[in-house]
Amino acid sequence: MSLIDEVESIPRKTMVLFFVVDTSGSMNGEKIGSVNSAIEEVIPEIRDISSENADAQIEIAVLQFDSGCRWITSSGPVEVEKFHWNQVDAAGVTDFGAACRELNQKLSTKEFMKRAGGSYAPVVILLSDGEPTDNWQPELDDLKQNNWFTASIKVAIAVGYDANHDVLKQFTGSSESVLEVHNSEALKRMVKFVSVRSSQVGSASNQAGGETKSKQQQLNDDLKEIKEEATTDFSDDEW
Amino acid sequence: MADLQKGDKFETKDGRTVTVLEKLGKEGGQGAVYEIDHNGKHKALKWYHKRYVENLKAPRKFYENLDNNIKRGAPTDSFLWPQDILKNEESFGYVMDLRPPEYKDFTHFLLAKEKFASVTAMLNAALNITAGFRELHNKGYSYQDLNDGNFFINPKSGAVLICDNDNVSEFGKSSGIAGKARYMAPEIVVGKASPGTKTDSFSLAVVLFLLFINDHPLEGKKTCVPCMTEELEKKFYGKEPVFIYDPEDTSNRPEPGIHRNALKRWERYPVCLREMFQKAFSKQVLSDPSYRVLEIDWLRLFIRLRAEIFKCSCGEVFFADAVESTSCPRCGKNHKFNLCIKTSRYIVPVHQRTRLYSCHIESGSNDFSTPAGEIVLRGDAFSLKNVSLKTWIVSDGTKKDTVAPDSLALLRKGITIDFGGESAQVI
Repeated sequence: MSLIDEVESIPRKTMVLFFVVDTSGSMNGEKIGSVNSAIEEVIPEIRDISSENADAQIEIAVLQFDSGCRWITSSGPVEVEKFHWNQVDAAGVTDFGAACRELNQKLSTKEFMKRAGGSYAPVVILLSDGEPTDNWQPELDDLKQNNWFTASIKVAIAVGYDANHDVLKQFTGSSESVLEVHNSEALKRMVKFVSVRSSQVGSASNQAGGETKSKQQQLNDDLKEIKEEATTDFSDDEW
Repeated sequence: MADLQKGDKFETKDGRTVTVLEKLGKEGGQGAVYEIDHNGKHKALKWYHKRYVENLKAPRKFYENLDNNIKRGAPTDSFLWPQDILKNEESFGYVMDLRPPEYKDFTHFLLAKEKFASVTAMLNAALNITAGFRELHNKGYSYQDLNDGNFFINPKSGAVLICDNDNVSEFGKSSGIAGKARYMAPEIVVGKASPGTKTDSFSLAVVLFLLFINDHPLEGKKTCVPCMTEELEKKFYGKEPVFIYDPEDTSNRPEPGIHRNALKRWERYPVCLREMFQKAFSKQVLSDPSYRVLEIDWLRLFIRLRAEIFKCSCGEVFFADAVESTSCPRCGKNHKFNLCIKTSRYIVPVHQRTRLYSCHIESGSNDFSTPAGEIVLRGDAFSLKNVSLKTWIVSDGTKKDTVAPDSLALLRKGITIDFGGESAQVI
């Protein structure tokens, strides 16, 4: 074999993109429909980002929560090239605490994060429209002690007016990384923007100025513009 | 979002019309690239996202720098250099030439989606990338954000186009960019320095290592951590970087099963190249930018190596030392050259595919692409054909012969060739 024939692809670390989706009854109808089509449509874009990226291989993990919670990707994160979105339905209460506990358990090298070449800190995108109905606070507090979670890039999308922003803020660590959307068009745009940008941020060039900005900070900077657009974009189709 | 649409029109400074034709490729973090009709010619437009411009530390300065670069012009033809600026009320962008389709993303080579057609093409790519940055630095610029996304390479020839020239700044000035993780010099990662020519030289060494080895020079056993947090990135690429083949510190050697390219390929390269990488990523050079390997030193090494690419009778292509005997990595046959052309800077082995370039026959020249001589084999006799514009004088100690352009000089041990300035001995 000559030098030029034997080249394999450069090893890439894994970057898992977690979608944590509220599928409680209040999401039923247009909201969950929009979430389904938004994620469905953004997957090909993330696939392109991953296939053009020599730094990271992107994998997808999806956790849905309502009365209890369950992984759609039950056997662990799936390479985005092989990931296929199965539409979810919405019914039941909002066991956000259960979702936090489940996420906490799986964010471990013994569970979802066991890649031989290692991983980058994951991205966690939370979508929710309401008020948690279970005893969520101790579960979220525990989750916040998880090193993977601490290191992750976090964004929350509040779907409609009734989402508890305080909970979402606690989840992401700052109000800067909480977006609010009021119609299906805005939801789609936000899901796309957040998933795409958070997938790119590890491979983007950083602005100068003393210590370089954290990835979360870079993403938050990007969210500023889109946040304004999300909340001012009122239309007749508002929820 | 300030995306452009097909049919959007701009007016250039001199009053002519530009029309957006279509979006090219995928959306990037900074903006998107469009094909445009620019004064009747098809060109590319890099259009910044509004948020990118808003998040710049000094957008005005960035714009003015771009404008200034347009006025000063490209350092060489290898650059897809900004040619014009377009703006609207939301954002702005710059015009450049379109990338010809035969040029492929360097990232695709890293992902093994593209392969070089020959070892010579790979060496040519190394030469062209290095020469591009040498010229840029010689013209008083620094690139500032050198990474795998900046190059397009022709896999057949090794010709290179350098894109994303929007952060290029005059010596000592900062464009506001810090760079991309894994490519930034350690002193930038730890926040001690801003990008400049010496940090470019570090990033260039990373790119060259990737080009030859297809594994990252600082990623080995130590960096195989479960979670590469931003904290750890700072450690491995900033505070405590360790070269995977550091001769003394073996703590970060490639990990079997992961860094397979390094484990397979490193040993296949000649010692001179391996030593140069060991120097470029030594503890001293990693921590002290003033010791960074100069582009000219890389160039001379690559000029030497390109001449040592040899095809064994078994078909294997490998680097055969000009003077010492080298064994073929496939069939094990020892190979030693009978004849070499020794100039003041290079020893060029004579084989069927030997080519001389201006850098070999002109003193001080680093022109590795203008052909000057090529080997013609008749029976067992090697002759050197003069493909330069000058007349050469060949001397065997007793008599002198002139070799006009397009004529042949029979190569024998002991003769001297005067190329018209630079001379060489055949040894």
